[in-house]
Amino acid sequence: MDENDPRFKPLKEQDGFALIPDRWKVDYFMSMGELSRFSLELKENGRLMGTKCPECGSIYCWPRSWCHDCYVDCEWVEMEPRGRITLFARVEISLNDIQTEVPYMQGGVQLEGARYPIVQFIRGEFEKMYPGMPVRVEFRPPEERTGRIRDFYFVPDV
Amino acid sequence: MRRVGIVGIGNTPFKSRHIDKTFPRLAYESVKAALEDAGASKDDVESVVYSIYNDFFEHCMMPDHHVHYLLGFARRPGVRITTGGATGGYALRAAYAEVASGLHDVVMVVGVEKVGDLANVMEMVKSITYAADPFFEAALGASPAGSYGAAIRFHMDNYGTTQEDMALVVVKNKGNAKNNPDAQSPMDLTVEDVLASPMIIYPLKVLDHCLNSEGAATVILVSEEATSRFAREPVWITGVGASTESGRQAERDDPGRSLFPAVRASADAAYAMAGVTDPASAIQVAEVYDSFSGVEILLYEEFGFCGWGEGTRFLKEGGPDMGGRLPVNPSGGLIGGEHAIGATGVYQAAEIVRQIRGEAGARQVPGVKAGLAQSMGGARGAYSVTMVLEG
Repeated sequence: MDENDPRFKPLKEQDGFALIPDRWKVDYFMSMGELSRFSLELKENGRLMGTKCPECGSIYCWPRSWCHDCYVDCEWVEMEPRGRITLFARVEISLNDIQTEVPYMQGGVQLEGARYPIVQFIRGEFEKMYPGMPVRVEFRPPEERTGRIRDFYFVPDV
Repeated sequence: MRRVGIVGIGNTPFKSRHIDKTFPRLAYESVKAALEDAGASKDDVESVVYSIYNDFFEHCMMPDHHVHYLLGFARRPGVRITTGGATGGYALRAAYAEVASGLHDVVMVVGVEKVGDLANVMEMVKSITYAADPFFEAALGASPAGSYGAAIRFHMDNYGTTQEDMALVVVKNKGNAKNNPDAQSPMDLTVEDVLASPMIIYPLKVLDHCLNSEGAATVILVSEEATSRFAREPVWITGVGASTESGRQAERDDPGRSLFPAVRASADAAYAMAGVTDPASAIQVAEVYDSFSGVEILLYEEFGFCGWGEGTRFLKEGGPDMGGRLPVNPSGGLIGGEHAIGATGVYQAAEIVRQIRGEAGARQVPGVKAGLAQSMGGARGAYSVTMVLEG
């Protein structure tokens, strides 16, 4: 960063020690590669996709393209958009620039049929939640969807 | 220490972009190929060393533990090495140590890199530049090419090496890549083509630069006791030399005539361990770190393939050509073959294994008993690992 950079800030001095301001920032287009269908179905069709191992029958969501036990390629399947809460927490203060709105709740959700739970945002009344509570997927409206996991969240299904 | 052999190798094809594959998927495909080559199952693998260079490339700090889990190695040991361009060499060394020490009998080295998710080439170069000394060199914004360019310039001034001479390395390595179905950049080039490509940092033009690749390579290291459990005859790692020195571009303690003293130190150590006294006769093939065309000329000297200042003569006499006295980079090297950074050093070892097995296809060098693999990284080769492999 040089002094012509609009983000430039001058050196800070504290107790006789120098603190030089700087910033690292890198831009990406992250390739979803063989998992692209997950993002495309989410964004375009509001469908939650997983994958299934043709040998052991394990269903993975988040999807993986091969089964780590059987070492064979998995097949795409659509997930049932419901499950049960495993663990959950309410975050009171934002600790990064990724999720700034607080408070929010996140928790593990065991999707129906899936081998492992996923972690996702959960909306609802914190005090009324409990492990094992049924939840269902809610998708954001199509115009708000970006193909990322923030396109959906869970709400109580009781 | 116990003897350590390589019984399995695998790699993906190397491309500028594997848009259809994530970096864990690339890793998986090379792992699967290596397991099949060794006649092994993943349950045979006791421990894994990950060779993944740059967190900024994978857009993930600690990418290794995500890959480790997806590869089905949960609750087995996994560790990641990152030492710039020498990541692959140092990862192999770490795996070697695990086996030689008796800690494990079967250790896998998985090298993978996916560079193309960075939004553009400037973001890529910036990500590499972040390795500079944070107090006294980072503010220069200097790229690694600058540090290598300075060493090459020294060779030009002192030994009369020209841009035309360096172009011969590009013609050779792009041409060698035509014999490698996994290579990214096979090309029929002339010296004039190289000279006509745009200048980036004098004297290095676009075609003098190594590639940016995506891909993965895996090798499986085993103890002598364990070799009978696998399908392939082992290729033995007989020499491992490593050296890390100043990461600042110009500071080097008394390098003598060496322009890459870390390389020379790593070669000396590998030769001493392998009992190599005359590398030019003991070694029949080499895969070395041609990050830039002129660098390969300097490396001939660092490895003792010829005398100091004789690298250009060695090149012009056809010494490193296919059919020459000591073919260098039959795979195409980093200029013609691939440079998926974390995968590179691992892939080099895999290529030497192919040469020793006699399975290198159209790029096979006849009668290979011993080969050399070397990778380096950091400003002006601050890290270097040299390995000697023998049948």
